[in-house]
Amino acid sequence: MKGKLEPLERQKLVKEGKNLKDGLITLEEDLLKLSDELQQEAQCIPNMTHPDVPIGEEDCSTMRKMVGSPHEFSFPVKDHLQLGKELDLFEFDAAAEVSGSKFYYLKNEAVMLEMALVNWTLSEVMKRGFTPLTTPELVRSSVVEKCGFQPRGENTQVYTVEGSDQCLIGTAEIPVGGIHMDSILAESMLPLKYVAFSHCFRTEAGAAGTATRGLYRVHQFSKVEMFILCQPEESESYHEELIKIEEDLFSSLGLHYKTIDMASGDLGAPAYRKFDVEAWMPGLGRYGEISSASNCTDYQSRRLGIRYRPSESSTNPKKGKGKLAPTKFVHTLNATACAIPRMIICLLENYQQKDGSVVIPVPLRPFIGGLERIAPKFPQDE
Amino acid sequence: MGLRCYFGGTAIQTLRMAVIPASSSSSRFIFGRPLSKTLTLNSLFLRRNNVNYLTRPPFTLLTKALAATAVQAAPPTETIDRVVKPQWKAAIDFKWIRDNKDAVALNIKNRNSNANLELVLEIYEKMLAVQKEVERLRGERNAVANKMKGKLEPSERQKLIEEGKNLRDGLIMLEEDLLKLSDELQQEAQFIPNMTHPDVPIGEEDRSIVRKMVGCPREFSFPIKDHLQLGKELDLFDFDAAAEVSGSKFYYLKNEAVMLEIGLINWTLSEVMKRGFTPLITPELVRSSVVEKCGFQPRGDNTQVYSVEESDQCLIGTAEIPVGGIHMDSILVESMLPLKYVAFSHCFRTEAGAAGAATRGLYRVHQFSKVEMFILCQPEESESHHEELIKIEEELFSSLGLHYKTIDMASGDLGAPAYRKFDVEAWMPGLGRYGEISSASNCTDYQSRRLGIRYRPSEPTSTNPKMVKGKFTPTRFVHTLNATACAVPRMMICLLENYQQEDGSVIIPEPLRPFMGGLGLIAPKFSRAE
Repeated sequence: MKGKLEPLERQKLVKEGKNLKDGLITLEEDLLKLSDELQQEAQCIPNMTHPDVPIGEEDCSTMRKMVGSPHEFSFPVKDHLQLGKELDLFEFDAAAEVSGSKFYYLKNEAVMLEMALVNWTLSEVMKRGFTPLTTPELVRSSVVEKCGFQPRGENTQVYTVEGSDQCLIGTAEIPVGGIHMDSILAESMLPLKYVAFSHCFRTEAGAAGTATRGLYRVHQFSKVEMFILCQPEESESYHEELIKIEEDLFSSLGLHYKTIDMASGDLGAPAYRKFDVEAWMPGLGRYGEISSASNCTDYQSRRLGIRYRPSESSTNPKKGKGKLAPTKFVHTLNATACAIPRMIICLLENYQQKDGSVVIPVPLRPFIGGLERIAPKFPQDE
Repeated sequence: MGLRCYFGGTAIQTLRMAVIPASSSSSRFIFGRPLSKTLTLNSLFLRRNNVNYLTRPPFTLLTKALAATAVQAAPPTETIDRVVKPQWKAAIDFKWIRDNKDAVALNIKNRNSNANLELVLEIYEKMLAVQKEVERLRGERNAVANKMKGKLEPSERQKLIEEGKNLRDGLIMLEEDLLKLSDELQQEAQFIPNMTHPDVPIGEEDRSIVRKMVGCPREFSFPIKDHLQLGKELDLFDFDAAAEVSGSKFYYLKNEAVMLEIGLINWTLSEVMKRGFTPLITPELVRSSVVEKCGFQPRGDNTQVYSVEESDQCLIGTAEIPVGGIHMDSILVESMLPLKYVAFSHCFRTEAGAAGAATRGLYRVHQFSKVEMFILCQPEESESHHEELIKIEEELFSSLGLHYKTIDMASGDLGAPAYRKFDVEAWMPGLGRYGEISSASNCTDYQSRRLGIRYRPSEPTSTNPKMVKGKFTPTRFVHTLNATACAVPRMMICLLENYQQEDGSVIIPEPLRPFMGGLGLIAPKFSRAE
C-alpha cells in the first residue's frame, strides 16, 4: 500500500489488510491459549530417570551401602518420647494447646543439642567448601512451584499466608533455588555450593498412623540443607559428593544407617536420581529416614530460569551476532545435611544408658559447651 | 398471685427494654435479628459454662470448656458486625474497675487508649441487675417447684404449672440477655489497658526519661559506612535476590553474617542460662486466640500478624507469645515460681504501616531471629524481676561494647499490656542515631488474666480468715514479664557499624569469638582497590 494506487485498488487492499489483521488476532489468541494449556499439561511431566535407578515401587529400591549394625542393649530400651519426658527435654502437651498437634517445645539440653547439631553441621559442611546461608522462610508461591512442589494441591504440604501470594517453606531448597532465578551465571562461578540453615514448615496433610509419634513427624523443624548449582556434565559426580558428605556426617555421629537408591515410583517429579539415608531408631524398632539427596538435573533450572554461559563456544560453529556462546541450563542438586528432630530421635534412642542418661557423641561436645551427657534430673526410682 | 401479675407481660417487657444499653452498636446487637433463634446453639454451649462463671466470684477457676476449643464449636453470629462473640474470656476484675473508675479513666487517657470505660461500667451495672433478677426468678421458680410437691387441688396445680412455665420462659430470656451482656462486656473491657506504674512519665514519646546512658558515640577517623554498604562489600547479605523470591524487607545472610547470627544466639542463650533461665525453642505457628490473649491484635487493619490461610493459626511476632501460652489455663504451685525462660525463635512481622527511612536494610524486616526472656512470678516480685531483666540486658550490651541508653517509656508509648516498659536504644553510627535494640515490659496480671495463669499460695493468706471448704487458699494470678535478650538484625547493625575499621574489615567483639570458631575479624574478600 506504499506505492501509488487507484482508489479502488487501495480500497480492496485496505479490506484485505483488515481481514488479515482480524484473522491474526484470533489466531494469536488461540496461540496464547494453546501455549498456556501446553505449559499446564507439560509441567506435569516428571524429570527423566537415571538408567541405574531400579524400576518399580518403594520395595524395589536397592541398598547402596550399610554402615554399622543395631546397637545391642543390655537393658529395656526407651523411645525418644519417654526419654524426653524423663529428662525434661520436650513439651508436646502445652504445644498442642498453644498451636495444635505435631508441635512441640524443646527444653533444657534438647535446646543445646539442636544448637550444637546445627553449628557442627554448618561447620563441617563449610570446611568442604560450601557457602553458608540463612534464608527467608516466607516465599512467593510461584517460587515453590518452580522448585517442583504443589502449594495449592489437595493434600498440599505447604502452608499459605492469608491474603497474600506467600507460602512458608518446607525446605531451604526453595529459597536457595530461588537465589539465582532468572539469571545467567558465568561458567567460572560454577559450581555454586551452598549450605543453608532454616526452619521448615509442613502441613503433613494425609500423613497419619504410628509413624507420626513425637518428633518423627512434626509441622515445624530446623534443617541444614546443601544445594549445588553446576554444569550438566558434573551433576552425577556432585550427587556422589553430596551423599558422601552425608555419610561422613552420620558416621561421625556413630549412627547405624543404610543408604538407599530410591526406585522410580518413589522419586518425586524433580529428581533424576535420589538417595535416601535411613538410620536405625531403636525406640521405634525400625529404620527411619533422616536425609534425602536428589539430583534434579535441569528440571528446576528450566522452571527457575537459571542458565550459565559456557566460556568457550567450541561446539558451536555457527556464531551468533556477538561472540557469546548460547546459554545452557545449570543442573541443581539438594541434600539434607541435618534434619534436627530425626537426628535427635537417633541420638537419644541410640545413646541412652541404663541409668536413664544419654551420652553426647564426641564431635558435638565442643559445640555444646563440653557437655558429655544429659543426666536425669531426678533419681530413676521416682 | 403476685407472681402472675408481675409476669403479665408488661413488666417483662419493661425489664428487657431496660437492659438494652443506650449506645447504637449495642442496639444493633439486640435488635439486629430475632433474639432466640440464632443464639440457641450458642446459648446451649455457653450457658453450661456461663452459669458457673456468673454465680461464682470472678477470680475462680475458668473451666477448660471455656478454652477456645469448646467455644469455637459455636460460630459467631453472622449479622453482628461490631460485636463478635469473643472466643475466650479474660478474667477481668470488673468490680475493681468500678470501685476505682477515676484512676482507670485517667489511665486510659494517659495512654491514649480508645477504651470506652463509661460503656463498660454501664454494661456491667446492667449485667449485675439482670443477674440479680435471674437469681430472684430462680428463687421463685424453686418456690413454685416446692409447692408442687405437696397435695394440691387440680386447679391450683394447674395454676402453679402455668406460673412455673412463665417463670421458666422469663428466665430463659433473661439468661440469654445475660449471655449477650457478658459477651459485650468482655469485648469492651478487653480494650482497657493495664494500669501504669506511678513512676512512669505521663505523656507522649518525647516525655520518656533516660534512666541510664552507657558509653558515648565512637569517634571515627575515616568516613564511616552504614551496615548495608558494609554488608555489600563484605558479601554478607543479599536483599535483591530476596526481594525477587519473597518480597521487600526479606534477606539472605551469607558467610560470616551467618556465623555472627549463630554466635550471637549461642552466646546470648549461654549468658542468660547462667543466670538461671530455662532454655526453650518454641513453635512459631500458634492459634490466634493465644496471640490475642497476650495483648496483640491478629485481625486489626494494620495488624503486625501473618495469618495462615484456612486455619486459626498465625505466625508469631515474638517468642513472648508461645512462652506465655505454655502455662495457659493452669494453676501453678507457689514453689514453682518464679519461672524464668529464655526462648529462641524466628519472628515474623508484617510491618504494615511502617514506611520511610527507618526501614532500610536490616532495621525493619519481616523475619528475624530473637532470643527472648520471660518470667512468671508472684505479684509482689514483678517490679524486682523487671529490674533484674533490664540489668541482664544492660550487662549483655555492655559486654559487647555498645554505646546505649535505657529509657523509661512514657504512658502514651506503652502498649496495652505493659504496666511499665524500659527500652534500650543503641548508637548506630551508619544511621547517625539511636535505634531500639530491646524492650523489657512488666505486664503484671494483664496477660495472665487472659491466658488464665494462676498460682496457689502455699500458706493461707493472713488477710483471709474465712477458709473455704477445702484447705486450699484461693488462687491468684501470676505476673508476667518479657524482655529482649537479643534481636539479631538490630544487633548486627550495631556490631557492623560500630566495629568497622578503616580497611573495610569488621572486628568481632571478644565475648562472641568462642561462639564463632575463634573468628576475630570479618575481612574484605577482595582488595579495596577493586
